[in-house]
Amino acid sequence: MSQQNQEAARPEKFEPKIIGFLCNWCSYAGADKAGLAQNPYPPNVRVIKLMCSGRIDPEFVMQAYMKGADGVLILACHFGDCHYKEGNFRATQRHRMLLRLLKQQGIEQERCRFDYVSAGEGEKFVQVVTEMTETIKRLGPLRRKSRSKN
Amino acid sequence: MKVGVYFCQCGTIVSDKLDPEKIRQDVLGIPDVHYFKTVEYLCSEDGKNFLEQDLHEEKPDRVVVTACSPREYEKTFRECLAKAGINPYLMHMVNLREQVSWVTADPEEAEKKAVNYIRAATARVIHQAPLEEKEIEVSSDVLVVGAGPAGLKAALAIAGAGRKVVLVEKTPVLGGMPVRYEELYPNLECGPCMLEPVLAEVLQDKEIEILTLSEVAEVVGYCGNYDVKIRQAPRYVDTVKCIGCGECIGPCPESTANLFNCGLNDSKAISYALTGGLPNAPFIHFDACRRSKGEDCQLCKAACPVEGAVVFTDQERILERKVGAIILAVGSSLYDCTQFPALGYGKRPDVYTSMEFERLLAVTGPTEGTVLRKDGQPPQSMAIVHCVGSLDKKHAAYCSGVCCQYAFKFNQLVKHKLPETKVIHLHRELVTPGKEEFALFERATGNPNASFIRYADLDEVQVKGRDGTSEVRYKDAAGNNGMIQADMVILCPAVVPSKESINLAKLLETPQDKFGFFEELHGRADAAQSKIKGIFLAGTCQGPKDIQASMNQGMAAAGHVLSQLPMGKKLKIEPITASVNEKVCSGCRVCRTVCPYKAIAFDGERGISIVNALLCHGCGTCVAACPSGAMDGYHFTRDQVFAEIEGVLQ
Repeated sequence: MSQQNQEAARPEKFEPKIIGFLCNWCSYAGADKAGLAQNPYPPNVRVIKLMCSGRIDPEFVMQAYMKGADGVLILACHFGDCHYKEGNFRATQRHRMLLRLLKQQGIEQERCRFDYVSAGEGEKFVQVVTEMTETIKRLGPLRRKSRSKN
Repeated sequence: MKVGVYFCQCGTIVSDKLDPEKIRQDVLGIPDVHYFKTVEYLCSEDGKNFLEQDLHEEKPDRVVVTACSPREYEKTFRECLAKAGINPYLMHMVNLREQVSWVTADPEEAEKKAVNYIRAATARVIHQAPLEEKEIEVSSDVLVVGAGPAGLKAALAIAGAGRKVVLVEKTPVLGGMPVRYEELYPNLECGPCMLEPVLAEVLQDKEIEILTLSEVAEVVGYCGNYDVKIRQAPRYVDTVKCIGCGECIGPCPESTANLFNCGLNDSKAISYALTGGLPNAPFIHFDACRRSKGEDCQLCKAACPVEGAVVFTDQERILERKVGAIILAVGSSLYDCTQFPALGYGKRPDVYTSMEFERLLAVTGPTEGTVLRKDGQPPQSMAIVHCVGSLDKKHAAYCSGVCCQYAFKFNQLVKHKLPETKVIHLHRELVTPGKEEFALFERATGNPNASFIRYADLDEVQVKGRDGTSEVRYKDAAGNNGMIQADMVILCPAVVPSKESINLAKLLETPQDKFGFFEELHGRADAAQSKIKGIFLAGTCQGPKDIQASMNQGMAAAGHVLSQLPMGKKLKIEPITASVNEKVCSGCRVCRTVCPYKAIAFDGERGISIVNALLCHGCGTCVAACPSGAMDGYHFTRDQVFAEIEGVLQ
């Protein structure tokens, strides 16, 4: 309890857990590009690679929140660049649906960010990760309803 | 389960930030991890040999490799597993170099992140299953649809590699659109001189089976094994026996519109498609022939010096062929100019499409190359209207790319044939791409009788008049109204998908783009492949282009066939595909609607979807779309991703 109070008193100590779902061809390569540039960014994002952003099942995102993530990033190829032509389009549709779902669940929509990162956009990857980390720090930890209390 | 972890130090690049000894303690505490070994350079020959040898001795059930990006070395390490007798798909890579050590400032945070990733990888890899690369026998024969520049080059390239080609052409002659052009841009070179050697090569190649007057009627199967039915209309002339003397044509008493001359003149019911067309044998327009009316006219046969060359009993045939790949090179057509009533096409005399004008310029055309008005007078002035439909959101929202060049060619040919005739180019834009085209533009603009007017909107260009001479009214780009007199008007219509290609797209279930052209796998990287494996694209059926680009794309398509389906080799099926749990599938078919590759079929009898592993690219869009959880994706299964999520959040 006392620890929680301390955290509340000093929110800058909160280190959010963020899951980044990245497609293999563009955004994962963009993250690699940021690595090659050796450009440091906050260590809060954990990347999970899928072949296509179209594979990102809304269930994955909800599972991430359930298992302790404070935020989720969905990164895809730019429109027209999708390796599978239109997977990123499907991903945007599912993201819109997810936002509605989050609203119903009382979860801030900023906790689920969709963005485009191409294989060449290492800097953009760093920028998105940094912004997302700051956003989630500002929002604080995701408060989950405890089942045992209900 | 025994999981082995191999930690590549990448020299000291990774180990400078991530102390392997500190990480070792945490990693060995992860359930199922039996050992943690460090290697200086895992991708070096020594490193790979060590990995292979060590895997052989340790015999782990699953392997985690922490190194650089899997995009770089996953394939290499999978091969090591395979050599050590372990299924290569029982490994998961952690990207410690690009995504941890290089990008995390604080070493403690970096170590935490590394251990976290290794825990997630361990959790995931336990759920990974061995996958097998299957192989299937394939037919080495190739179907090429369309014998224009693209199809001809593709056929020659494939036949040159010793492969059999079935070349299907719907008209009676080979060569496509360019056989009708006497001179070609940008150098005004002789069209037949360019094309005929190519045609001769095709005609003489024993590996190429030429089927003229033919179209694809049915295609069953998939990449590697297609059963194709081809419908061939009767020619009534045996192309092998016919010596091409043309004696049969003179006595024929019936005539019909000559479609190769765009109907500008008539030809006999038995005739050549066009003079010099190859194969050099006439054909009978049966609908125009007296025999179609029940008469027993034999005049052509009687005039023929070769026994059995004219065959009245010829019939439509359905030919069956087995091929491994299909190249679509069916070309395109021109936008219907009657969509612009104000331009007077079809209503006013001496308003022609560019294709009609090509025929008027050709010595093999209806006027033997003499350009005259309908009233027999040479035209004093000629308006060439560019961008008829092109660059227009209401019609064809793209540049057709070829029109400006042939309009400049017309400018030069008219200058030679009718030195006094004024040529007025009315254009929306002017394009001169390429290394040779600008020279032609310079010649066209240097023609003292030529002028150029930029109009703002084609809707404000009107072709009117009472007698033979037209008045062309326009509003120029500056907004000023203007009018010119033109004895002849040439319209340059947009290049648009042909009816044949739209029908073929339906038949083959090959996706089309928003304009109706065949959609390429990738606009820049893979424009000669369709989105369906085994079906390749060449020429203007994929998008507007000129002869050079069409021939190049024909070669590109042939290259894809030769490298993807090499003769005598089996076709490998990538194991990372979607798969249906038949017991759970409800038959809703959502997966079919989202699949960009038409890789999912519906089994009507059992009411379930079936994935064709050969056509599936493994993107997983259908998996995410499946509402009943029946679809899963090998190597990216729900269980594997869930385990990874949970592992990474611990």
